[in-house]
Amino acid sequence: MPKRDRTDTAISVPDSAIVRAEDLYRVYGAGAAAVVALDHVNLVVHRGEFVAIMGPSGCGKSTLLHILGGLDRPTSGRVVIDGIDLNTLNDDALSILRRERIGFVFQFYNLIPVLSAVENVALPLLLAGRRNGRSRTQESDAATRALEWLRRVGLGDRADSKPDQLSGGQQQRVALARALVAEPRLILADEPTGNLDSRSADEMLRLLRKSADDWGRTVVMVTHDARMAAYADRIVFMKDGSIVDDARLGGESSIEDALRRAEAST
Amino acid sequence: MPIERLGGRADRGAVQYAILALLAPRPRHGYDLRDAFEVALGGNWLLNSGQIYSSLVRLGRDGLVAEVGTERGGGPDKRIWELTDAGREEVAAWFASAVPRDYRLRDELYLKLILAVVTSVARPGPILQAQRRHLLRELHDLTARRNALDPRRQLAQILLLDSALAHTEAEIRWLDVVEARLDDIRSQPLPAPPERRRGQSRRRADAVSQPPRTAPPSLPGKPSRPSLRPRIATPE
Repeated sequence: MPKRDRTDTAISVPDSAIVRAEDLYRVYGAGAAAVVALDHVNLVVHRGEFVAIMGPSGCGKSTLLHILGGLDRPTSGRVVIDGIDLNTLNDDALSILRRERIGFVFQFYNLIPVLSAVENVALPLLLAGRRNGRSRTQESDAATRALEWLRRVGLGDRADSKPDQLSGGQQQRVALARALVAEPRLILADEPTGNLDSRSADEMLRLLRKSADDWGRTVVMVTHDARMAAYADRIVFMKDGSIVDDARLGGESSIEDALRRAEAST
Repeated sequence: MPIERLGGRADRGAVQYAILALLAPRPRHGYDLRDAFEVALGGNWLLNSGQIYSSLVRLGRDGLVAEVGTERGGGPDKRIWELTDAGREEVAAWFASAVPRDYRLRDELYLKLILAVVTSVARPGPILQAQRRHLLRELHDLTARRNALDPRRQLAQILLLDSALAHTEAEIRWLDVVEARLDDIRSQPLPAPPERRRGQSRRRADAVSQPPRTAPPSLPGKPSRPSLRPRIATPE
């Protein structure tokens, strides 16, 4: 199949699923040294869900998240995000899709040290604007939106601070604002609290919860911490590269079951 | 004496101590006691008036509280209670003593897991996962309730929920520890009594039935201790 270089030409099929992973298989290395990181994983995430992926280290949860986000490609199988099959995209189109439709939060905040908080948050908008040549209006618009997102994560008064002037928890909130600023529908978070004290971790999870409840995002988060996973609506358990259990935590199990049944019958 | 109190308090429950403590500053009637108790627990422990009444009667019989009159209002008369000198000593001793904790050495989950291994009628993995699901749902509900509270006004209730969260989280960690060591458990002698024929001495039976284990014994279908296996169909 020829690979497209633009995502906006894709035909979006109305679908309650924002993420569909089908028969994902990922092997690293070859021969005797080959390690199977994902062993035929299937996963559907519906719009507005907050899903935690849990499991012991080495179970493949981070590999799965990276492949869902187009940061890594599966050896076989496919990922469909928002109706777009990532296998049909070349590397440029994939990076455009990542920038426009997915917000990433990592364990280490990955902020640019020489930029202020608001400049870090505005960066994805400025990078997107570069596509068509950036103008002064675009730049001031980006700064306004970045400031608004900083305010929403409770850092409106720290816009001019550099990362090294902020606590770990504050830096991670800047990173979340940066993930949200381009209004992506999907937030992927890889151990977002792995480097935080428990108070900052709770603050971070409340914001991820809010991203789903109030800001209409779908959140998929990898964690090994039960306290953090308990914020989610649903927990997917992994072991040895496979999904071994999938549990809904809230009281909507009947809805979820109905959705799964409907899906199984199509 | 705090140390002695630890052993002597088993017959008086938390509700009775709470009543004594609530009566320490001033006399109250039963409804007032119930309301004050429930508010202190953030509504997480509700009492009926019968529980309050029977506790007051019991404390009165033990000479720790005494009736000092009735309050007449629109409804039925309310009996007012106060603390006696003995009651004051009791509540001081309660505050001075540590609260004994149940360390769960008679834990039903442990029993279920170890019996799954010993009898081979169930696999421990699914038992652990069912428990993990259950605890994570509890953790989810506790987290949602805690985060609905306002830390500027409801810190007391938040701290109570934090305690429940910490214990639930600790139990989930324990499940992870057990799961990681299941294979090690299987490679060890299981906590099962020695097999004995009638008339055989315990010592001799020990010598016969406790060779060191080498093979994993407990997969369904491969029982190594047939006598411990109930004659029922194994699941799966």
